[in-house]
Amino acid sequence: MLELGEVIVNCADVSVFYGDTRAINNISIDIEKQSITAFIGPSGCGKSTFLRTINRMNDTIDSCRIEGRVKVDGEDIYAPSVDVVPLRAKVGMVFQKPNPFPKSIYENVAYGPKIHGLSNNKNHLDEIVEKALTRAGLWAEVKDRLHDSGTGLSGGQQQRLCIARTIAVEPQIILMDEPCSALDPIATSKIEALMSELSAEYTIIIVTHSMQQAARVSKRTAFFHLGDLIEYDSTDTIFTNPKEQKTEDYITGRFG
Amino acid sequence: MLVGQFPSDLEIEGRQTVLILLAQIKNISNGIVVGQPDIWILESAEKLTSWQGISNVIISSLAAAISFLGGLYGVSLIKPEFRARNSVEVLLLAGLAVCSVIAIITTIGIVFSVIFESIRFFKLIPPLEFLSGTVWNPEFEGAARAGSGQEGRAAYGSIPLFAGTFLISIIALSVSVPVGLLAAIYLSEYATRRVRGTVKPLLEILAGVPTVVYGFFAALTIAPFFRETGVLLGLDVASESALAAGFVMGIMIIPFVSSLSDDVINSVPQSLRDAALGLGSTKSETIKKVVLPAALPGIVASIILAVSRAVGETMIVVMAAGLAANLTANPLDAVTTVTAQIVTILVGDQEFESAKTLSAFALALTLIVITLVLNFFALQIVKKYREQYE
Repeated sequence: MLELGEVIVNCADVSVFYGDTRAINNISIDIEKQSITAFIGPSGCGKSTFLRTINRMNDTIDSCRIEGRVKVDGEDIYAPSVDVVPLRAKVGMVFQKPNPFPKSIYENVAYGPKIHGLSNNKNHLDEIVEKALTRAGLWAEVKDRLHDSGTGLSGGQQQRLCIARTIAVEPQIILMDEPCSALDPIATSKIEALMSELSAEYTIIIVTHSMQQAARVSKRTAFFHLGDLIEYDSTDTIFTNPKEQKTEDYITGRFG
Repeated sequence: MLVGQFPSDLEIEGRQTVLILLAQIKNISNGIVVGQPDIWILESAEKLTSWQGISNVIISSLAAAISFLGGLYGVSLIKPEFRARNSVEVLLLAGLAVCSVIAIITTIGIVFSVIFESIRFFKLIPPLEFLSGTVWNPEFEGAARAGSGQEGRAAYGSIPLFAGTFLISIIALSVSVPVGLLAAIYLSEYATRRVRGTVKPLLEILAGVPTVVYGFFAALTIAPFFRETGVLLGLDVASESALAAGFVMGIMIIPFVSSLSDDVINSVPQSLRDAALGLGSTKSETIKKVVLPAALPGIVASIILAVSRAVGETMIVVMAAGLAANLTANPLDAVTTVTAQIVTILVGDQEFESAKTLSAFALALTLIVITLVLNFFALQIVKKYREQYE
């Protein structure tokens, strides 16, 4: 069985329903701290839905209902006493389509620190913005036009801006929902390099359609199919020596 | 031709008689016989009838021939190389262009007619007096002509009217913009689908109520209520007050603001809300800092629409704010607006040459200019924000 280091996310018997439809079936999984875990599987297998349960983004969908237990840092995030606002600050999210706010680049990054009161003076805020942009590998490209609109950047730059915006809040976990599916190969490779760097400090969970991407960046890989977690192991094992027939069929391109 | 058939002994006394005879003949041929006409007239009528029959046949056969030839031409055009879609689209394009030009030409026509009449007015009354005078009192025109002295002189200072318009619009906007905007935020962000599905159509029905109905609501319900409340508080409220008219006008405009703003807020992409929520914003932070700024151009546009409704509204003012052209900033006084004055000037018997009637055109012209300037600046604002937020 899979050997994990320190666990940060612990899910037990998690099921997710949209109305009467069951999207996730009794999934139990542990995610290792400060590493990259990839969720792969064919479209509609529930991997994005499952990702969104980890920071309760599914709460925004009215018909969505969750059973089971999800613990982040030892705390049950679906307990009635939990406030989702600090949870989402701790578990950041990068979406499939780059979605910068229609504000300046600076304002985009400063948004999170401002609402969470992470900074009380302009200089400190400037520092946070510069640091986040630098870590997202965007500083050199935008430092002369921080006050231009964030929506004027290229797709890849926008996605890195979204990552900068997320890490400016200093989360522990970053959830990435197919962050490269709208990007070209060059932008994709930049983001992948960025993920590898960030994994030294952050726990990254990435949903991806690209098996090559999962193989390149992740340490662990979980394979989902029709709402079930089929196999979860180190990325090497999944791609070279899968135990389940379904996993092998999928990674060798026989279905999905 | 018929005239050639007239009996030679008939004395023709000028064109008029001929026309009368012709009319008589036409009537008879249509079956209308009055009295006992002369025999020759009956004969002519019969001839006319037969001629009309012939001409009908000719016209129909001509039409048939033209359509047949046209059809032949059309059929001859149909070849594999013929690109029918292109010609059809050219025709459609022309049709669409004509439609759009009609509206523009009509507007230009209206503006010019107003300008010409205004020029006539400004020949009688100097523009400076019209634009800077603080007394509006066109009623003493007759007395002034009779030479009954300075007191009876009509005054055409338009400032009280524009001040009244401004005052009532401000009151209306201060009611409708906050209420409408907050309603829109509730509807688009907080309301469940069922509530939204019920409330929004209801609000839109409110927009369809004729303004006359709002007018008597203002005059018979709101104005007395304000006056009595004023009495209780020891304030002197006129029975026809700017406050009552502005308040009801504000109520009338709420649906415009809320319905349009709701559409705009709804069209802000869900991905922006997700982004904000994903960063740990609360719902209200998301709305205040992300959704509303992104929707701002549309919201400003809906407020502009509200302003133009308020400035152009006439009925409520006529019924509830009175016709006294007071120059005052006190919302409890009776005031009047430009549009209400135009109505009172042009309703009823008027001498078209008098300065009083012509003043309506000058008022209209000034109103047009002011609304144009307002719209221009509003568009600039929208443009500026759009650049910033896209």
